[in-house]
Amino acid sequence: MNGAGIDAGYGFFAPNVPSNYKLVFEVHYSDGKIEYELPHVGGADTGLRIATLLDYVGQTHYDPLRELLLKMLAYSTWQSHPNAVMIRAVFGFVTLPTVNDFQRGQKESYEFLYAYDFRFHKEAAEVHSP
Amino acid sequence: MTRSARSRDRLFEVLFPPETTDWLSVLRLGLGLQVILLSMSLRSDWNHLFASNGAGLISRDLSEAISTFETPLSPRLGWIVSGGNALGFDEQAVLSLGWLALLCSGCLLVIGLFSRPAAITAWLMHLCAVNSGGLLSYGMDNFTTIGLFYLMLSPLPDRFSLDARLWRSRTKDPQIVGFFRRVLQFHVCVIYFFGGVAKCIGPGWWDGSSLWRALTRPPFNVISPETIISWKTLIPFLGISVCILETGYPLFIWLRRTRVIWLMCICAMHVGIGLAMGMYLFAFIMVVLNIAAFGPGLGLAPRQKLVRGAVL
Repeated sequence: MNGAGIDAGYGFFAPNVPSNYKLVFEVHYSDGKIEYELPHVGGADTGLRIATLLDYVGQTHYDPLRELLLKMLAYSTWQSHPNAVMIRAVFGFVTLPTVNDFQRGQKESYEFLYAYDFRFHKEAAEVHSP
Repeated sequence: MTRSARSRDRLFEVLFPPETTDWLSVLRLGLGLQVILLSMSLRSDWNHLFASNGAGLISRDLSEAISTFETPLSPRLGWIVSGGNALGFDEQAVLSLGWLALLCSGCLLVIGLFSRPAAITAWLMHLCAVNSGGLLSYGMDNFTTIGLFYLMLSPLPDRFSLDARLWRSRTKDPQIVGFFRRVLQFHVCVIYFFGGVAKCIGPGWWDGSSLWRALTRPPFNVISPETIISWKTLIPFLGISVCILETGYPLFIWLRRTRVIWLMCICAMHVGIGLAMGMYLFAFIMVVLNIAAFGPGLGLAPRQKLVRGAVL
C-alpha cells in the first residue's frame, strides 16, 4: 500500500482548512544582540514542505518529539549563525481573519504555543526548555 | 446465455476494455516531466533534506523512523546510503547519486528510452525520498507515487516511445492495456469522491470561508488578500463548485455527454490551484493523472480507437 501511494487520505483542506503554524527563531548573541530568523530553505517547493513539517510539529502531542524536531530546526539555523550563544524557537499558530474581518482592517494574529531555548556548542548541544 | 454468464461477460468488458497505448504515452511523458521538475525543485535542498544526524534540516534517521513505523519494509534512502557506505561512498555522494538517478529516470521517461527500468527507478527513488522525508512530504508526493506505481506496472513501452521505435516489441494485448487504464480511472474516481465528500462535510466549503483561508494561508498566499476580496462574490460559488466537481467526478466523468466538460473543469481547477496557491507540481501531477485516465480516446468507440492506434 505504501508503494502504491494508497496508504494516505485524500481529504486535502477538508473538511475545513486547518490553522497554519509559524516558527520564529530568536538568535541571541553574547553582546546582547538578537536577530530573528525563519526556517529557510533553498527552493519554493521546499518551502511548501516546511509548512507540512510545521503542521506535524503543531499537531504532535508528544512533547519530547516536538522538542526534538524544533531542536533540529534550530540547529540548522545555528549552523548559519555559529557565533550565537542561544537560539529560542518560538512556535505558534496564525489566526487568519475572515473575509468580513479583513475588510474591517483586521490582520492575521500570531498565537503563542511553545518556546524552547537551545544552546549549541561545537559538538554537543545543550537544551533548556521552559 | 444465462444471466450469470452475461454478467460475467459484462464485467469482463468493463474491466478489460480494448485500448491503445496512447493514454500510457500521456502518463509516461507527464510523469517524466513531473520527475524532472520535482528533481530540479529539490536540487539545492536535496542533501540538506535527507542527510542523517546533524547535517540535515530534520535528521533522516528520525524521519524514517516515524514515517516507516507502520511499514518497516518500505524502501528508504537509509538503505541506499548503507549500501553505498559498504562500497566506500560517503553519505553525501550517495545522496547526490540518488538525486541524479531520479533526474535521469525522468529524462529517460520523457523520451521513452528504457521505459520500464526508468519507471521502476523513478518509482523506487521517489518512494525512498518520500519515506525518508515523510515529515516534509505532501499530497503531491503521494500522487506522484501513485502515478509512478501504475506506470511501472503498465504494459510499457507505448507506441510513441523511443523503445518502440528502436526495438520492435511485441504487440500489446489491447485488453491488458485497457485493464491498467481502468484501474487508474477507478483510483482517480475514488480520490475525487472521498476528497469531495470530506469537503462537503465542512460548512466552510459551502460559504467560501475555506477557499478564502486556503488562498490566504501562508505559504499558499500567492495572491494578495486585497485582490481576492475584489472577487468576494465569486468565492462561495467557487467553493461550492469545488465540492460539486470532486464529489460528482465518479459519475459525470463516465457519462459521454458530461465527460469532456468535467475533465476540462477539473483540469482548470487544478491549474487554478497551481497558479493561485503556488502548487505548480501538485497541479501538474493531477492534470497528468486526469488526462492519462480520461483524456486520450474521449468520445471514440473502442473499435475506432484500435484502428486509429494500430496498437504498436
